[in-house]
Amino acid sequence: MRDEIRTIQALMEGADYVTDAAIATSVYLGMTLKKPLLIEGHAGVGKTEVAKVMARMLETNLIRLQCYEGLDAAQALYEWNYPKQLLHIKLEESTEHSLQQKEAAIFSEPFLIKRPLLQAITQDARPPVLLIDEIDRSDEEFEAFLLEVLSDFQVTIPEIGTIKATHTPHVILTSNRNRELSDALRRRCLYQWMDFPGFDKEVRIVTRKVPGLNERLAREISRFMETLRTIRLAKVPGVAETLDWAQALSSLHADHLDEDLVAETLGCVLKDADDVRRFKRELGTAGLKRFVPAEGS
Amino acid sequence: MAAPRDLLTATLRFGQTLRQAGLPRTVSELMDAVRALEVVDLMDRQEVYMALRACLVARVEEIPAFDRCFDAFWIFQAEEGQGLEGLTSPAPAPHGEDEQQMDGPPGGEQKESLALEGWEEEGADDGEPLEVPGKSEREVLMDRDFSTFPTEDLDEVARLTVLIAKRLARRVSRRRRPTRRGGVIDLRRSMRANMMKGEIIELRRRERRRRKVRLVLLCDVSGSMDLYSRFLLQFLYALQNVFGRVETFTFATRLTRVTEQLKGPSYQLALRRLTEVRDFSGGTRIGESIQEFNRSWRQLVDRHTIVLVLSDGWDTGEPDVLAAEMLSLRRRAGRVIWLNPLLGNPSYEPLTRGMAAALPLVDHFAAAHNLASLRDLAGHLTLR
Repeated sequence: MRDEIRTIQALMEGADYVTDAAIATSVYLGMTLKKPLLIEGHAGVGKTEVAKVMARMLETNLIRLQCYEGLDAAQALYEWNYPKQLLHIKLEESTEHSLQQKEAAIFSEPFLIKRPLLQAITQDARPPVLLIDEIDRSDEEFEAFLLEVLSDFQVTIPEIGTIKATHTPHVILTSNRNRELSDALRRRCLYQWMDFPGFDKEVRIVTRKVPGLNERLAREISRFMETLRTIRLAKVPGVAETLDWAQALSSLHADHLDEDLVAETLGCVLKDADDVRRFKRELGTAGLKRFVPAEGS
Repeated sequence: MAAPRDLLTATLRFGQTLRQAGLPRTVSELMDAVRALEVVDLMDRQEVYMALRACLVARVEEIPAFDRCFDAFWIFQAEEGQGLEGLTSPAPAPHGEDEQQMDGPPGGEQKESLALEGWEEEGADDGEPLEVPGKSEREVLMDRDFSTFPTEDLDEVARLTVLIAKRLARRVSRRRRPTRRGGVIDLRRSMRANMMKGEIIELRRRERRRRKVRLVLLCDVSGSMDLYSRFLLQFLYALQNVFGRVETFTFATRLTRVTEQLKGPSYQLALRRLTEVRDFSGGTRIGESIQEFNRSWRQLVDRHTIVLVLSDGWDTGEPDVLAAEMLSLRRRAGRVIWLNPLLGNPSYEPLTRGMAAALPLVDHFAAAHNLASLRDLAGHLTLR
């Protein structure tokens, strides 16, 4: 393996993020080829974390654009501060300034509201990490607009001129696959699918993030989650749920799983009434052994 | 490290293998792959694999096919210290036409769009009444069940279907809506609102046009249903410029996505071929089919999607499964409409187990057995 990739993996682990070679490789390629990285995967597998960890690792700013339905260019890029401009015009009314001067004044940087995309390309110090979170929640029109910004990293503001990126930011896009993304966007990005972690990785994550937990419980929790994800559920629990649950169990000073404990703390893991019912039926017929087979026997 | 030139030819050839496996990649994507290979350890198979996967896979569904290509193509000889040399050994012989495509723009796509244009012309009988029969005669046609038309009249009815759809499509308006917050400044409205005040105090804004509605069709093509599916499809595709996107699936015992086929060279032909999709093993498993849809095509459905299910509700599967899947579909979709051609028969009551299970979970339940019912359907193709 390349030393650079190993270093990145070590750095990410150092920033408290348990990762694997595939993710480290795509992060490395994204940084080296200067291409956006599209991370897809189920909710709660740690997609957003990649960007946060990257920022921590590179000791740079994290600029986050949270996508939602109806998000448009004005909210993502820049907007003139209209009320402030109007106020300024009122205040300037009695002064002797010429029209040009007044105009130049109100269409200058102090009146510009920089939104995340513009912020990301006007950083002074070093390239920031730009996280475009849940791109699948934005509209198709916004996606097309984003494509344009991501391809040349420059923005034209008619009143000011073209602003070129001081540094090309490291771009991470995440998607929960609520909507199919366009082929054009996919072509522009490197791609990484993030699956639920395997048993060993999950044990490592749990022990790393919830320090007080004994190892037996960590293994039981991970085994339980692994089996649980094979049942057909409406909301399959992610790593975030595992950690919540481990945290809860740790504060209850539990040292192993039993049926009562699982039933009491189930709310940390399953967030859908039907899922809870389905799980309880399964637990009633097969017992906890179905989920946590006795180890080492 | 292998010479860049070798890397380039090898990667381009790998691109061909991918294309043959149904993963067409653009030249710029392949160039990225070359750049990626230049910065990873070529002696490390796993690393080469991950780098290429990051560059050349666009969605998770493609990974299995990509893995097969990679394994077949990448005859790796790290032990002998040759790195990627294995790559340059002749892989599945490229066909002449493929090489042609490598140079110019892919010809296939062009053909397709041309064909679609052709179809539109064929269906766009805008030259007013021409083919439309006299009024009374037309009314008769409007109310007549599709299944009772003699075969030779079906083409005529199909033309009429398209005609009605085009008329309806023209009526849909696309206005911007004024709004209080957000949106862009509406200069005209701001000026007018402030005219009496002598200066601009209050800003008016307007919102972007609302997003186009998408349609997902799940058509039962078992037994007697395929005639109805055919007319409904024809109707909706004629309406399709009103919608952002139309996705079509057929099912009998299994779910099949036919969107691409319907976009193919001959729409009419593809439509006729729908019957071939159906499997004759008997029975309709609606619940399982919708389950399959929910599992694999979840991303097509959101609040801006209307889901149309066309089926007579004769389900040989478990009604519980159907009910559960309809519920999950309804939670995600903007609107769920169930069309049942049997509803056109006044004595019909939705008592089949499947229908009874699904009925409380749909927003609109209607017939789709004649032209009049298709016309009425258009009124329901909006979100709640």
